[in-house]
Amino acid sequence: MTLERNVLLGLGVLAALLPFAVTDQYLLHLAVMALFYAILANSLNLVVGYVGEFSLGHTAFLGTGAYTAALLSVNAGWPMWAAVPAAGLVAALFGLGIGAITLRLQGPYFVIVTLSFAEVLRIIANNWIGVTNGPMGLAGVGQGGIADKRVFFAIVLGLAALTFYLSYRFVYSNAGRAAVAVRENRYVAQSIGVNPFGSAMQAFVLGAFMAGLAGGFYAFYISFVGPEVFRFSFMATIIIMVLMGGKGTLVGPVVGAVIVTLLEEYLRELQELRLSLFGLIVMAIVLFLPNGLMGFIARRREQRGDAPSLSPAIEERTV
Amino acid sequence: MTALPTQRHGGEPLLRAENLTMRFGGITAVKQVGFSVGPGEIVGLIGPNGAGKTTCFNMLTGFYTPTEGRVFFKGADVTSHKPHAIARLGLIRSFQKTNVMKRLTVFENVLTGHYLEGRQSLLATFFPGERVRRAEREARESAAAVVETMGLARRMNAPAHLLSCGELRLLEVAVALAAKPTLLMLDEPAAGLNSHEALLFGETLKTLIGKVVQSLLIVEHNMELVMGVCDRIVVLNFGQMLAEGEPREILNNPKVAEAYLGKAAA
Repeated sequence: MTLERNVLLGLGVLAALLPFAVTDQYLLHLAVMALFYAILANSLNLVVGYVGEFSLGHTAFLGTGAYTAALLSVNAGWPMWAAVPAAGLVAALFGLGIGAITLRLQGPYFVIVTLSFAEVLRIIANNWIGVTNGPMGLAGVGQGGIADKRVFFAIVLGLAALTFYLSYRFVYSNAGRAAVAVRENRYVAQSIGVNPFGSAMQAFVLGAFMAGLAGGFYAFYISFVGPEVFRFSFMATIIIMVLMGGKGTLVGPVVGAVIVTLLEEYLRELQELRLSLFGLIVMAIVLFLPNGLMGFIARRREQRGDAPSLSPAIEERTV
Repeated sequence: MTALPTQRHGGEPLLRAENLTMRFGGITAVKQVGFSVGPGEIVGLIGPNGAGKTTCFNMLTGFYTPTEGRVFFKGADVTSHKPHAIARLGLIRSFQKTNVMKRLTVFENVLTGHYLEGRQSLLATFFPGERVRRAEREARESAAAVVETMGLARRMNAPAHLLSCGELRLLEVAVALAAKPTLLMLDEPAAGLNSHEALLFGETLKTLIGKVVQSLLIVEHNMELVMGVCDRIVVLNFGQMLAEGEPREILNNPKVAEAYLGKAAA
């Protein structure tokens, strides 16, 4: 608990110092994308790691947020500071609606239905040309003339700080413990008075809100939003980040986001081979590090620490 | 219909089951069972395997909706309420198949059990004030105390999956106690304990009455434990009430002996 908080604070301080050391626009772009992905991975982790259900439709909230911000900016001229929070709120509303349907399902049913919601939204974005401009997308979002990437970096760092603060508070609260109880054992959770549906809904809507914020930021940063924000490849990237870093931890998604962002960038020369490599990496993680890098580190600490009865056999069986 | 038992403690019983019937398709698992648990009582629910004891538990706690009959808790009709809603009224149960949160530590399991006491608004979750911080501190202290009461202090920070069978049983009771039940229902809490451990466990249970919980309802196969602990025993056989009474009466009841051991040779 305190360890996780201190690591997050440390990473935050390091990130805050970054613009003073780095002025290269390309490197700053990478840093902005890494933080953007960290927010997304963190929001997905609330669902995957704390509710314990695997959502494949998280891009629904990213896309909703991005379109909300883009529409408000292009059509109504809203500035960034107003459009991004609005994007989060609209995505949270979508989370409430989609959660009300999907959270009654579990396991593979939940996976499929969340995926279909993202697909339906993609098709709507593609075809509702009057509003979304169809496949052409919405261009020229927030032409406020922010040229320096350091400004964007400061904004995304602020958003990341906010979302990680909210996640930290949630995860280590009574409500977060209830969500974990539902993940670990639905029957026990009910027998101690936890409403599984309501508890999952809190985490789900919180995750949707954060993904919406990230989407809103993305719209302003790229200054263009098209239907591809709902695409599955986006989803795949976020999943890899959460799995690699370690689901059910707060530091994990950050670590995963940074590693995957850098990998994506520096493997770009390998073109299509990049995706195959990603597939292999995911398989390796699932096989050898089922709890991600953070899970691996935690286990090493445990083994060196005061758990003498920890036999490898038991440990393997339970992970 | 089975007649309601006479109340020895007077007044409204804490839990009252009336005419409970549960049918799964063509099979009647429980048929017209009625009994009650009064304040301060330890009641045992016994019967051979498949008698419908766990089905009764599931109906009383909302995990099953009875086909017929009603359940009253603290005078209110709770039939077909959701499990968490019944738990919030103070009726907390454990499960036959040991059910704990295996990847959490003993302390975390019990701390999670304090959920109902620490419920708060989302705003308070994100911006905890002094009240929330105090509640959190108290929950942590109380969790440590409950772990100690159940004799698990030595295993406080061990993950639950490393516990022995007996320790898991204790942990399960500890999690249930953490939810501050008025009536605690335990489904075979001594399964897997040896007879010495079971006796100690029974002593621990007796100390809970009046201090931590008002009443206990226990499903148990260990007769020594049941006879030593319970004030009153309800016997089920093939889903129906066979007998009800004090431990001594039950021991000397020929119908009960027959259900367990078969008919005596003529």
